[in-house]
Amino acid sequence: MRLSDIFFYALGAIKLRKLRAGLTMLGVIIGIAAMVALLSITQGLQAAITSQLQRGLATDTLVVSAGGGFGGGNSRFSLLVNDTNIIDSIQNVTVSLAVIQRVGYIKCGEQAIRITIVGINFAAYKEIYSSTFMAEDGEIPVNPEDDVIVIGKRVNLPWNNETAFCRTGDHVEILWTNTTARPLKNETYTGRVVAVLREVGGFSIGGPSDSSVYIPLERAITFFGTDKCEMIIVKLKDDNKATIDGVSKAIKKAFGGEAAVTSSTALLNVLSDVFATVELFLAGIAAISLLVAGIGIMNIMIVSTMERIREIGILKALGMRSRTVLLIFLSEAIIIGILGAIIGVGAGYVLAQVAVRIFGGDMSFAGQGAAVRGAIIITPVLTPNVIIGAVVFGLLVSVVFGLYPAWKASKLRPVEALRYE
Amino acid sequence: MAVIVEAVELKKTYMLGKVPVEALRGVNLKVEEGEFLSILGPSGSGKSTLLNLIGALDKPTGGKLYIEGVDTATLSDGQLADLRRKIGFVFQFFNLIPRLTALQNVELPMAIAGLSGIERRKRAEELLETVGLGDRKNHKPSELSGGQQQRVAIARALANNPRFLLMDEPTGNIDSKSAHEIIQLVKRLNIEQKVTVIMVTHDQKLAMEAVRTLHMLDGYIVKETLN
Repeated sequence: MRLSDIFFYALGAIKLRKLRAGLTMLGVIIGIAAMVALLSITQGLQAAITSQLQRGLATDTLVVSAGGGFGGGNSRFSLLVNDTNIIDSIQNVTVSLAVIQRVGYIKCGEQAIRITIVGINFAAYKEIYSSTFMAEDGEIPVNPEDDVIVIGKRVNLPWNNETAFCRTGDHVEILWTNTTARPLKNETYTGRVVAVLREVGGFSIGGPSDSSVYIPLERAITFFGTDKCEMIIVKLKDDNKATIDGVSKAIKKAFGGEAAVTSSTALLNVLSDVFATVELFLAGIAAISLLVAGIGIMNIMIVSTMERIREIGILKALGMRSRTVLLIFLSEAIIIGILGAIIGVGAGYVLAQVAVRIFGGDMSFAGQGAAVRGAIIITPVLTPNVIIGAVVFGLLVSVVFGLYPAWKASKLRPVEALRYE
Repeated sequence: MAVIVEAVELKKTYMLGKVPVEALRGVNLKVEEGEFLSILGPSGSGKSTLLNLIGALDKPTGGKLYIEGVDTATLSDGQLADLRRKIGFVFQFFNLIPRLTALQNVELPMAIAGLSGIERRKRAEELLETVGLGDRKNHKPSELSGGQQQRVAIARALANNPRFLLMDEPTGNIDSKSAHEIIQLVKRLNIEQKVTVIMVTHDQKLAMEAVRTLHMLDGYIVKETLN
């Protein structure tokens, strides 16, 4: 029998029981839709976070921090502001920069909001983060006077509306609580806002953040009363793996293995690994619903086989080979599976769009201990891999679960099948 | 005349639960090309078992059955299926596929044999004309009378130019007027188109319509008559 005839014969049998086939298909549709929706949202989230990170973290930078990696918290070692001199002397390093930061408050008029106070060298910071440490309003001074303050976009507009908290030209007070002093003491710093940064979005590690305020490093040293810095950001000559590895090694060596070196590339890789795991987990959950759908197919096909024993007998009496009978019943399962998968992909994408629109507004991340929010906008990503994967999976489920009933049908003996009432 | 079907000491024993039932105890027969043969016997005489064996729907447990000189016991299931394409079955209960139209039912054996859509459509239409149902080709079995359904079944049986027609109580389930028409049709096919017919029945009057009748009882052929 020709394959096209087998297909149309199977299609005719499905058409006869539309409701039943439709309900069976619904199982597949839900399974595939769940899988596609979860994967496209996860991939969208990954894309959003990765792009935010890439903006916040230049790929040709390393972040050096105290604490020598795993369990290094006990170490008395701390990075000093002057350690940049050591790092600068390492080959392939363009520039390095010390960052001192504290969580504190900024006060403008009667109101105060929580922010991260960051002390940096404005010129070096600008060189490393040339695309993000940029003023939207005002100007970032290269040789800053003592009392200048640069603020992030969300310090300027913290409430998601047009109401500004403070703007360029304002005189503000920033303060942090010195918890090592007895009694506790609030240190304050009065300054003038000279620039508002362009929106960076999301969050960043080391790089500019929307919810931080920036003051000159020298001023921060006296304000915080320390020359210990939280991290040193190192800009490399290029972002080759060899350069990154070489410099990382040299820095670790320079600090006797006490310093931790994080490369943004490595961070992105870790992130991508994490997402791969999350995707696998979510796909696994969706796969369970497909398993249920597969059992549904099997159930219906067995019932269908039982109902059509006589028909199978007739087909065999007319000279149909067992293999052809098997193909007919398998085709019925496959038609349901593939059609369900195709509809499921479409439904899943729509579901992802709807879900992102409903929950998207609340899917936000609190930036570095700040009360100011940085929302991430997720666009569901439907890659060809997901589409092909979903359809193949639908096919696989229908073949696996359709095979047994089809085999059972094909093994019926013609005499007994014809005698069946 | 060439012998199409030959049985030599043909035996069939099957198990009814744990009890062996000897349906055929040693049947010898020869069917020649162009014949119109009837096999007559009461129920339980083994005639349906014999028919299933001749139709390659079942395998014998003893003796030999040759269809066109081939020993059916040596054939695989797939080869038996191919052999059935050369046999035209007509059943008591018609056994049409309910969801297919008359035309599609007649096309079915040709589709199984792998003919193209155009070829089989043309032949199916001719066959329905032959059995007098040219105007009902797009009706489904449920829209046809018993006699009409049986004529569709005969058209279907003839689709692949079979070596012989195998009829199992072909008029057992239709009214007497239609039955008469059916038997006239079969006779006409036998005489005009030289179709070999083997018909199984328990109806003596119907059996007498054939040229030769084999009488069966308790798994044996006990008598042979020419009508």
